[in-house]
Amino acid sequence: MFDNATFDERLDTMTDVKISASKVNVFYADTHAIKDVDVEIKDKMVTSFIGPSGCGKSTFLRCLNRMNDTIDICRVTGDIRMDGQDINAKDVDPVQLRARVGMVFQKPNPFPKSIYDNVAYGPRIHGMARSKGDLDDIVEQSLRRGALWDEVKDRLHSPGTGLSGGQQQRLCIARAVATEPEVLLMDEPCSALDPIATAQIEELIEELRQNFSVVIVTHSMQQAARVSQRTAFFHLGHLVEYGETGQIFTNPSDERTESYITGRIG
Amino acid sequence: MTDASHSTKTSSLNAFDAHTAKRNRSEKRFRAYGLTAILIALTLLVILFVTIIRSGAPAFTRNVVQIDFILTQAQFDAAEKKLLKTKEYNVLFSSFVANAITGGDAEMDDVADSLARILGKVGGDIRSHYRENPQDLDNSVMFELSASSRAEQYLAGDITRETLVDSRFLTAADLDVIDRMKDAGFIKTALDTTFLFGADAGVDNPGGAGIGVAVVGSFFMMLVVLVLALPVAVAASIYLEEFAPQNWFTDLIEVNISNLAAVPSIVFGILGLAVFIQFAHLPQSSPIVGGLVLSLMTLPTIIIATRAALKAVPPSIRDAALGLGASKTQAVFHHVLPLAAPGILTGTIIGLAQALGETAPLLLIGMVGFVAREYPDGLVAGFTEANSAMPAQIYTWASRADPGFYEKAWGGIIVLLLFLLSMNIIAILLRKRFERRW
Repeated sequence: MFDNATFDERLDTMTDVKISASKVNVFYADTHAIKDVDVEIKDKMVTSFIGPSGCGKSTFLRCLNRMNDTIDICRVTGDIRMDGQDINAKDVDPVQLRARVGMVFQKPNPFPKSIYDNVAYGPRIHGMARSKGDLDDIVEQSLRRGALWDEVKDRLHSPGTGLSGGQQQRLCIARAVATEPEVLLMDEPCSALDPIATAQIEELIEELRQNFSVVIVTHSMQQAARVSQRTAFFHLGHLVEYGETGQIFTNPSDERTESYITGRIG
Repeated sequence: MTDASHSTKTSSLNAFDAHTAKRNRSEKRFRAYGLTAILIALTLLVILFVTIIRSGAPAFTRNVVQIDFILTQAQFDAAEKKLLKTKEYNVLFSSFVANAITGGDAEMDDVADSLARILGKVGGDIRSHYRENPQDLDNSVMFELSASSRAEQYLAGDITRETLVDSRFLTAADLDVIDRMKDAGFIKTALDTTFLFGADAGVDNPGGAGIGVAVVGSFFMMLVVLVLALPVAVAASIYLEEFAPQNWFTDLIEVNISNLAAVPSIVFGILGLAVFIQFAHLPQSSPIVGGLVLSLMTLPTIIIATRAALKAVPPSIRDAALGLGASKTQAVFHHVLPLAAPGILTGTIIGLAQALGETAPLLLIGMVGFVAREYPDGLVAGFTEANSAMPAQIYTWASRADPGFYEKAWGGIIVLLLFLLSMNIIAILLRKRFERRW
């Protein structure tokens, strides 16, 4: 099922580390959700996090743009660095960080505004456009990157919530891309979508990799195998194994990884 | 499915088994209960409205005696020389009307006597008219004069020939005269502008009492409530719902807000009396104090409604905004608040409506009905001059002995209900206008 050769073609030679995390622990009140996780996420590559439900992969993803800050009872310890800078440092504004580390959520969550306003919101609050024309360009370019332009170019001012589920998710991706992030975090972006919409998003992820480093949390091992260069397997809050996708799926070094990808646990 | 061999357990689809029949019966019973409850509620509502409108409608009209009167210069000069001038005008007017009714026959004097009782004290009005407009002398002038309150009651049906006992004020002969005047077209029904726009009148003058000044008092109080309660309540709700950490202190605040919503309004009245009037020395009976008291009372209502509206905004919207690098404040003001706006508006208007109908706290701070004697002069005076409010005015009227005031109280209730109804309609329209689906 997972053929080594297909992965080798996709192996990227670029090995710059974009985000490095070491000894990350996350606690929800008394629950220890993430235990001593070390991960290095490389630039311009797709990294996927897989694992059974509740293993902490989404929680860890949310550490990378400090979205866990918004949860009162959540406490994060450890060292997470982006381009060598500690993102949890006192002088780092999480708002600024999130502008550089975009996020796409599990359920499509467009704002109840027009398609145009959805995409333009990020650039507007970050003051990225100097004129209306600039903004129009950003919106068009972002919608193109989100592979949605052709479908919506004639109805930019109709509500974003009126689109189909797959289109809404691509709108959310376009919205995230519009702020020109360096890293794009995707939390199970296809779990609410049908296979055709999923295929479109996966194609899109492959294209986005040209410009960003993408981290995707997924329930589907096939999806991880299809889209990512590197895969991390989480289990019960531990990072069990992390490596090249091909190697994880064809020759896992840990027993638990093997059990999971062959369907015996999870 | 048509196979009968395994039908030992499967019953026919056409016949109910015992359990299904029981369930269906209980469902029917429950629907009947619900329908009965709604019918009872509707019946009571209809009875309520019919009673209110039947009792209150007469307050909006009044009977006027409408007569083309001619006063000659000679009569005027003669009357002005008399010691009791207004009495002279009473006599002049009565005889003129009596002449008009009877055509000058023998019973004219009796009719004139009756008219003096029916018309009440009109002499003063007539005298001042001619003193101000001497050019009307010798010319025909149309006078519209209100009938005395006893005559009003006969016209309204509250006094009949059978119940007429108080002969000092109205005799059977007077009633005949009233009927004749009516037939002759001298008595007409007109919209009672005094009631709609007037001020409260003395306890013996229900005909001159109006709710207008109290409406103005209510209006200024609502302004104070809107300006104070809405921003404070919305700010407090946003802070508690979106920013405040979860700890024992915010829990305590939360519990206390819920408790405040349940505190009887009269307690707020005592508080207003002690703090705003006795301690802060704000003017007694003034809409500013009433507004402050009602603001305190309305705050918890608006806070609870606003928090519910904020809670109802899906968290995914906040995540979306935060994920794009919006600050917490931007997320709240750009996305959460607009989505919560319809709920906040509804809560606010419900709070205002509640405040508009509140009586008890106003009585304690002195905004009783009889202080509403004149319109405030100017905007500032509107807040600081002694005034009443609609419900307090209604309460004052209802507690007066004269049955004419009873009718005014019902009329006042109709006015109050109209205000509440229009506020509710505004709430619905605003809701429709701001509502967005996601």
